Amino acid sequence: MDTKLRNISCSGRAKLVAMIIVWLGFLGTMGSCLFLLQNHDIASSSSYTEDYSFRSNFATLVHNVVEYHVLLKSEDHIKNSGEDGQTAADNLQRLHRIENKLPAMVNFIYYVRNTETGETSTNLGLETADPVRFIQKQPARAFLNGWTSDASIPLFGNIEDMMAGRPYEVYAAVVEPLQAGDMFYDSYLDYTRTKARTDAATILAIIAFVLMAAAFVYLIYITVRREPEGEGATPRPTWMYADVHTVLVLIAAVLSLSIAIGTSPGLSNALTIVALAVVLSLDIFIGLTYVLSMARQIRDRSIFTNTLLYKLGSALRAFLRLAFRGKGFKLWILPLLLGYGFANGLLFVLFREFYHLNEPSLFIFLLLIVFNAGVVYFVARSLVALPQIMEAVKEISAGNLDYPLDSTSIPVNFAAFAEDIRSLQGGLQKAVAQAVKGERMKTDLITNVSHDLKTPLTSIINYVDLLQKEQLENKAAAEYVNILEEKSARLKQLIEDLVEASKASSGNLAVTGEKVDLHELMMQACGEYEEKIQQAELDLHIQTAAETVVICADGKHMWRIAENLLSNVGKYSLPHSRVYIDIASDNGYGSFTIKNISAFPLNISPEQLTERFVRGDESRSTEGSGLGLSIAQSLTGLQGGKFQLDIDGDLFKVTVAIPLWAEE
Amino acid sequence: MERLNVLVCDDDTAIVDALEIYLKHENYGVLKAYTGAQALQALAEHEIHLILLDIMMPEMDGLSATIRIREERNIPIIIISAKSEDTDKIAGLNFGADDYVSKPFNPLELMARVKSQMRRYTALGSIALKSGILKSGGLELDRAGKEVRVDGEIIRLTPTEYGIVVFLMENLGHVFSIAQIYEQVWNEPSYAAENTVAVHIRRIREKIEINPREPKYLKVVWGIGYKIKKY
Repeated sequence: MDTKLRNISCSGRAKLVAMIIVWLGFLGTMGSCLFLLQNHDIASSSSYTEDYSFRSNFATLVHNVVEYHVLLKSEDHIKNSGEDGQTAADNLQRLHRIENKLPAMVNFIYYVRNTETGETSTNLGLETADPVRFIQKQPARAFLNGWTSDASIPLFGNIEDMMAGRPYEVYAAVVEPLQAGDMFYDSYLDYTRTKARTDAATILAIIAFVLMAAAFVYLIYITVRREPEGEGATPRPTWMYADVHTVLVLIAAVLSLSIAIGTSPGLSNALTIVALAVVLSLDIFIGLTYVLSMARQIRDRSIFTNTLLYKLGSALRAFLRLAFRGKGFKLWILPLLLGYGFANGLLFVLFREFYHLNEPSLFIFLLLIVFNAGVVYFVARSLVALPQIMEAVKEISAGNLDYPLDSTSIPVNFAAFAEDIRSLQGGLQKAVAQAVKGERMKTDLITNVSHDLKTPLTSIINYVDLLQKEQLENKAAAEYVNILEEKSARLKQLIEDLVEASKASSGNLAVTGEKVDLHELMMQACGEYEEKIQQAELDLHIQTAAETVVICADGKHMWRIAENLLSNVGKYSLPHSRVYIDIASDNGYGSFTIKNISAFPLNISPEQLTERFVRGDESRSTEGSGLGLSIAQSLTGLQGGKFQLDIDGDLFKVTVAIPLWAEE
Repeated sequence: MERLNVLVCDDDTAIVDALEIYLKHENYGVLKAYTGAQALQALAEHEIHLILLDIMMPEMDGLSATIRIREERNIPIIIISAKSEDTDKIAGLNFGADDYVSKPFNPLELMARVKSQMRRYTALGSIALKSGILKSGGLELDRAGKEVRVDGEIIRLTPTEYGIVVFLMENLGHVFSIAQIYEQVWNEPSYAAENTVAVHIRRIREKIEINPREPKYLKVVWGIGYKIKKY
């Protein structure tokens, strides 16, 4: 663990050092190379005699010697030459200049001999016995004679023209070792200094390059090297697409190259050198990060996937796949769009072509407008159908299944869609119709069955009654007949309730909304049930609202609800308890609430109680069909009311709320 | 007194036989038929004063038979049917039946209805309208004699009950609320929680109606009030 950490930190530091080395190495290499490039002649030369300024000085001096001793000779010679005044004056001026110049050249020697006269002129001292041999020993020398020249240093071309046809031999040289005092010495010093520098620069360049290369290779190595498992598994995210990066780097390279070329003539200027160094430093960092990033991406095999082109391509591919596979896109729209674009383009081109011609351009312009207006019209017309379809879907989802969706007014591209929605609508209509039909059939079945049950039941009731009228001597038989009578009455009630419950729950019942005074209704209902409530030894309290509560309901159904609830009160209340009936109006509803104390424990939920055939007493020992609450609930619902049951211990509470009568 | 004949027509023989027993017990002559066609035939051959007719029968149903009978005769027809819907009752009465009893019926109630219809039929035109007598169908109020009669039978009412009947008979077909009745009959202002009127009305119904749950004369208009129907 420790070693690992140290390794990582070491490698981090090493990486930094390597980068600095690459940077310095690059700067060094570039600097030395630029220096060498500038002084390439010196760098490639082996002796100072190869130096350009040395050579040109030498050639100039040789020229001067020839001009002076062979051509101009002396003032008298010029005066006698018969030249016109201007030329003679020029020649005189040159003569004097050369006369002044030559003695200053302490390292330059010459020896001129007239082959016809044997007359010589030289700047050598007399101590030199054989000037020709001495001169020929020097590394920088020249020999000229009438027609030929032989020199270790190239001379000016016109020197031979000057010598041609004249009987002279000219020897010239720079004497080694050079002495201080003239320009040959200066250029010699210059040369030796620069030569030393170029040698150093060459070595520096090589060392810097080697260092740079080594550090670079190291960097590449540690970048490409598989990092310890885990880290290497997830490729490090690159912050730039590879191709964009490449283009940017290339632009930077071209820019800096042009800067380098632009500044190279002024390299002596310190400011430009610093600027160049900065530019190059930037370059090396850009280039280094680029190369390393590329190396990493090559290692991760993500170099192709991490390109903008690849991303664009895959996005396009995904879009096309979606477009061609998906149902939302029709293939024929593509050529249509292309055709539209092409037609527009063509018209624009024509418009441009005929721009200078008044009438055709106007015509094409109008054509352009008409064409585009037409396209917009057709597109708009087909889109107009969309809100129509959306409206239909909204209506259908709201339950209006008969909303007409006229497919003839819908353009062809949405016709299939509209047709689908219509068939969906049809399916829903059918389903609803079937549900309604099923419910009706159920009610019909129950009604028919009840008819068939009623006929035999009539006989049973009649004959039981007749039996009761017979004087039965057997007491037990009389008791049995009583039971038969009771049960047949119960059966009759059950059948009637069953039919009513099925009608009420299927809504197969006429409801007429009339004005019903809730207080009056409850008084009437209590009047009807007064006897039974007294029999059950209950104490009835009616609490009514201050104002009359008039609801909009069907009186008969309201009576049935009240009857069922009061009959339950009579059947299931604890004897000697109080029963409260509250009449109130609240929030657009008129309601009555019946509260009583149950004689039996009500360990049953209100929801279960309103289910059909469920009764508070599990033993079903008391009379009743178990349909009373269910019927009351259904009838309340049919009249747009709310039916609520609450059980709190033995307290049984029913609230029936019906919308209030609204005067129009 | 001439014996009155009742024609009982139902495809269920057990019912016909049971009704025969009840009717004979009430001293009526009984003729039996099991289809609508047989009923028409019996009607043509015998003197019949009342018909008990089922609806759902083979050959000719009760409603068709009623129409055919009503083309010639006005004898009382009581329909006995397992069809208990309001629409069925209305159809039966519209086709000319005088009463409609749905199965399963209480035999005593049916006999009461038979007697009621028979009295009205046989007494038709015999009772001259005396002045001071209010009448609605079989319900009569004789203010001079302070009597209430149903189909000629005197009904015994308490003074309060009598007062209510008088008030409602004087305003036949008019609906009065509990408070209005109370103020009129008790002659004192009404207080909200009074259900004495409702109790009295129920008792009157039990006395004057054959089936108090389906009153013929003293009707309950739920949530509004009471009235005596005008016939």
